[in-house]
Amino acid sequence: MSALLARVPRRTVLPAVAGIVLLVVAADAIGRLGLAGAAWPTVTDVVDYLTSPTAQTLLGRALAATGTAAAIGFVAGGLGALALALLGALLPAAGPGLDRLAAVVHAVPLIALAPLLVTTVGREGTSTVIAALAAGFAVFVAATSALASTARAGRDVFAVLGASRLSTVLRLQLPAGLPTIVDGLTLAAPAAVLGAVIGEWFGARRGLGVLLVSAMQNVQIPLLWSAALSAAALSLAAYVLLVALRGWVTRRFT
Amino acid sequence: MTLAEESERIVRARAAAPVRRPAPRTGGVVRRVVSRYWTIAVLLVGWQLWASLNGYNRIVVPQPGEVVADVVGNSGAYLPDLLATLGMSAAGLLTGMAAGVALAVAVWTSPLVSGMTTPIALIMRSVPVVAMIPVLARVFGYGWQTVLVITTIVSFFPAFVFVAARLRDAPRSTSDVFAVLGASRVTVLRRLLLPHAVPGLLVAFRLTAPSAVLAAMLAEYLMGGRGLGVLFAQSVSFYQPERAWGTALVATVVSVACFVGARAVERRGLARMT
Repeated sequence: MSALLARVPRRTVLPAVAGIVLLVVAADAIGRLGLAGAAWPTVTDVVDYLTSPTAQTLLGRALAATGTAAAIGFVAGGLGALALALLGALLPAAGPGLDRLAAVVHAVPLIALAPLLVTTVGREGTSTVIAALAAGFAVFVAATSALASTARAGRDVFAVLGASRLSTVLRLQLPAGLPTIVDGLTLAAPAAVLGAVIGEWFGARRGLGVLLVSAMQNVQIPLLWSAALSAAALSLAAYVLLVALRGWVTRRFT
Repeated sequence: MTLAEESERIVRARAAAPVRRPAPRTGGVVRRVVSRYWTIAVLLVGWQLWASLNGYNRIVVPQPGEVVADVVGNSGAYLPDLLATLGMSAAGLLTGMAAGVALAVAVWTSPLVSGMTTPIALIMRSVPVVAMIPVLARVFGYGWQTVLVITTIVSFFPAFVFVAARLRDAPRSTSDVFAVLGASRVTVLRRLLLPHAVPGLLVAFRLTAPSAVLAAMLAEYLMGGRGLGVLFAQSVSFYQPERAWGTALVATVVSVACFVGARAVERRGLARMT
């Protein structure tokens, strides 16, 4: 968080803190007054539940499962997308087709992929694959745009010196595009978490997605909200981690 | 850089459409079509080969022809659910984007509102809204109103961020003209800033249209009721693989069509407004 907060000017901190406090107070008031019905708990209900040992084991196990699926999906999707983008840069003839493929795969609604994935990789693997696809799209878009937008002068130098296409891509376009690629990674990390959670809705055995759906069906309100908060926290943590990485890469490569 | 600018930069990066590559100079339409769509053809052929070579029976993996035949032959079975999903998505897009514009204008009028909404905007960016469908389903009840709430929330954030950004960076010279002529704040908003914000709204529309459809289908899948998501859940549980894969196909075509349509609207709108 410190990497994020360090850049916030003093002037905007007070209203921002006021906004967060207001949000929590409003959430608690809605729960206490029952404005949104029985499904909206008070903040203290959720905190009480979160501090109980049973909840911590349950949520801990689910967090580990979802986190693992999201992390594997993030790495696999990111590397795969990067490889495809590099392929597109090396073989310009393949490029437009790959762009189109990425757009179509991204536009395919996740539930449309479910029958395919459940048959091929099984119920447990589905969440990892959906996480990989979600993360991969963000990385692919960032990487194609990064590789295509290298400065003209640099390209001319490489062309004049007779560099091969491979060494131009690896020694010029890739390092120059790294900050943009890392931008894509900051988007890909929360996308991977979301993909993992949604993937678990199609019959996984454990994970935050499973908890969310079963708590919804069995009207376990504190568990439902705790699972939702855990998913949000996981997503935020992934994002903050990548923003910190981006800060480092930007300082190193620009 | 404030958090608002930070989150906006991220959303903008997400908005970056795939790079336009120069079309191959030689060859005509055929070559262009092949160069753009070869991957899609590979996918279809791969599906066909995968289904027939492994000798899967139709319960496991139906073949492309069977799926298309079910969609074309029984289109009456798909149509009501398709219309329900599209209606919910369109209504959610409308209300969500209207709310986004309204909040963007509110933020423009008052620095206090702007400061207080920044953390909320950041939270909404980092909270996976679609993953919150179970919570929303409990709070708003199982039914169409929850689908509407979800599509509204999904459509809200991009409209807010892009319109707010455009309201902030109006061209200096035109703002000066308005100031010199003593225009009131309302006039500035109506005659300068809102027209200036239209391209931002169009980008938000392109980004949101497919996600709204996707969110509607996921909500329907989890809650039941009507729509493509329900059709999918039912055909899976009644072992109608052609119907299940057909629903997936229809959903994909609808989603791609929404994206292409929204992009066309964006291009036409930009051509008119700039």
